[in-house]
Amino acid sequence: MSQSLRPYLQCVRSSLTAALAISNFASQTSERHNVPEIEAASSPELLLNPLTVSRNENEKVLIEPSVNSVRVSIRIKQADEIEHILVHKFTRFLTMRAESFFILRRKPVKGYDISFLITNFHTEAMLKHKLVDFILQFMEEVDKEISEMKLFLNARARFVAESFLTPFD
Amino acid sequence: MSTAQNYRTINIDTLDPDSPQNFPLPTLLPSTLPPPSTSSAAANTATQVRQLLRSGDATGALRVVLDTAPLGGDEGAKQVHLATVVDVLQGIRQGEMGRVLEGVLVGEGGGERGDCLMKYLYKGMASTGPGSGSQSPRKGISPQSTGFSQVQGRNLGEGGGGQQMSVLLNWHEKLVELAGTGSIVRVMTDRRTV
Repeated sequence: MSQSLRPYLQCVRSSLTAALAISNFASQTSERHNVPEIEAASSPELLLNPLTVSRNENEKVLIEPSVNSVRVSIRIKQADEIEHILVHKFTRFLTMRAESFFILRRKPVKGYDISFLITNFHTEAMLKHKLVDFILQFMEEVDKEISEMKLFLNARARFVAESFLTPFD
Repeated sequence: MSTAQNYRTINIDTLDPDSPQNFPLPTLLPSTLPPPSTSSAAANTATQVRQLLRSGDATGALRVVLDTAPLGGDEGAKQVHLATVVDVLQGIRQGEMGRVLEGVLVGEGGGERGDCLMKYLYKGMASTGPGSGSQSPRKGISPQSTGFSQVQGRNLGEGGGGQQMSVLLNWHEKLVELAGTGSIVRVMTDRRTV
């Protein structure tokens, strides 16, 4: 692992561990409703200060905690336009299948590539440290995945170009 | 309110003083908040702190800068003070980090200083680094313009401020080791922002 990646992930880990202290909280505006307060934003006193962890301009994590839900948004590293397109396709693929990921949010927060929404029901049904591990593992894997896809894409493009140009040889 | 606006789109909760939407947030601030300060006061502190830093007293500089945080100040004062704190943190070598931090956290109000430092670390990471306002010169990366328009344009390339961020991340790791996760929780819940 590179020198500056480890403190970054460590910082995200401790911030997430702190932010995931959430409990059940019924809606104050409508009776018998129970909504994630970070999304509803109906009462300002229930929203806590958002935390940003960033490695550089293009790699950040935004953690928005509230009394019963935490929204985690990740901005994935994109070094050039191909990576930009790949990240866009990749996150779209995941968000279209959001219901099988439980904590994935269907739409990323503005300025970020992918968002997770963790509510108190998730922390009750799943182990908190495993949730943190999952997000950390996702962040590690996604960078690897994107650069791998980019290599494949380049190899494929070279092969296609070669076979296309063979008849003109 | 203009009559042109569709009355169905008006959020009536904002008009109701008893609605949770209109919760009076200032009531959550403690009464012991320091008096409001301006950016000129913060600049005075900055010169004093830089003097301490130049004379080699890193622990003292960090102590002073965290004790004089403009919790009740305006936005200008907070920005100036943030720059001072980041300067101090960058001025301390990595090897001295642990020793300086231990010196800052002991004594009266040590915990407060730790929480304050944690607030500044997160604020420093949230604010974009210096020189980030200018667009990256590597704008036209692709050699051919394909007219690809499915994705929005954004600032590509290795962003600036990576150096500053890695300093802040190193400090964060050390501080969590010494002050624990509770310090982060206090940053999230404390309404006295820096």
